[in-house]
Amino acid sequence: MLAPAMVLSTQNGNGANNDGDGGTNRVRTIIVAGRSSERTHQVLRALRGFTNVIWPTSLESALAQASSKDAGCLVIADDLREEPIDEFLQEARELQRNLPIFVITEPDDVAEAVSAMRHGATAVIEIPPSFAALCDEVKRAMQ
Amino acid sequence: MKDQPQTVFVVDDDDAVRNSLRMLLKSAGLHAEVAASAQEFLATYETSQPGCLVLDVRMPGMSGLEMQHELNVRGATVPVIFITGHGDIPMAVEAMQHGAFDFLQKPFRDQELLDRVQRALVRDSEYRARLRHTDRIRERLASLSPREREVLDLVTQGKANKMVAGDLGVSQRTVEIHRAHVMQKMEAGSLAELVRMMMVVAP
Repeated sequence: MLAPAMVLSTQNGNGANNDGDGGTNRVRTIIVAGRSSERTHQVLRALRGFTNVIWPTSLESALAQASSKDAGCLVIADDLREEPIDEFLQEARELQRNLPIFVITEPDDVAEAVSAMRHGATAVIEIPPSFAALCDEVKRAMQ
Repeated sequence: MKDQPQTVFVVDDDDAVRNSLRMLLKSAGLHAEVAASAQEFLATYETSQPGCLVLDVRMPGMSGLEMQHELNVRGATVPVIFITGHGDIPMAVEAMQHGAFDFLQKPFRDQELLDRVQRALVRDSEYRARLRHTDRIRERLASLSPREREVLDLVTQGKANKMVAGDLGVSQRTVEIHRAHVMQKMEAGSLAELVRMMMVVAP
């Protein structure tokens, strides 16, 4: 069982964002959400080099986190073949029009990936082979 | 002005696929034009032509994704439905990120493609209708005199005639006359409608 909205802080300074308020840096959060705790843990391990990674326990609380002004990006760790996630994506997109949303899925889910893109995903990344593409996307989003 | 008929453009280097798609689209009452290559299509296509595009991803010469890029450069808004026999997630994601309407893997059922084509045609039709509406509002705006435009800007900010008169240094009666002209030229039935029009053309 994952802890609700826990924060993983590590050595890396990624995610810092000058909010224009007297020069102070606001650190934006990377929200990891998923219905599979195993896949979520894999993603969290892959993102251990980033600061302020949070993993809400449910998709609903992930939506709440995604609507915060501190949200930097949303990573959905899932297998799209198990259950479509289109409705969740659409809600997240409506809440935050410019929030980068990355969906992790199994290889060869082309139709599901296209559907996810149509419903608001910024990118769909197939895993395996590696989490490098996800880390690159998250790094770009947090910059 | 009468709308141009919608055309389903098909670009695929495979003769058999091109011909079967042409027949399928024709059987559904749709007007189709086919091309065997991206170059052949681009040589004659004009972005003002309403319709949608069914585009093969892998073709010799310019690929479907390269052709999509070229269409984007030209400012084309035609909805693109990619079809491919060898699709993968990175390819589909790239196509969708660059504005594809859909991405379909071969083999697909006829109805599956027809459904997507119909949706793409509706999207194109709605987009062009919005564009025409915006153009009409811009034309009406251009017909206003500078003073009428000032009055329009102030009343759509929510200012009453008295305040507008004060801001412009004219009498309230003059503002009322300008305002009546604005409503007439803009073909607006109410202030709310005028505000909606300004929101449509807002940058």
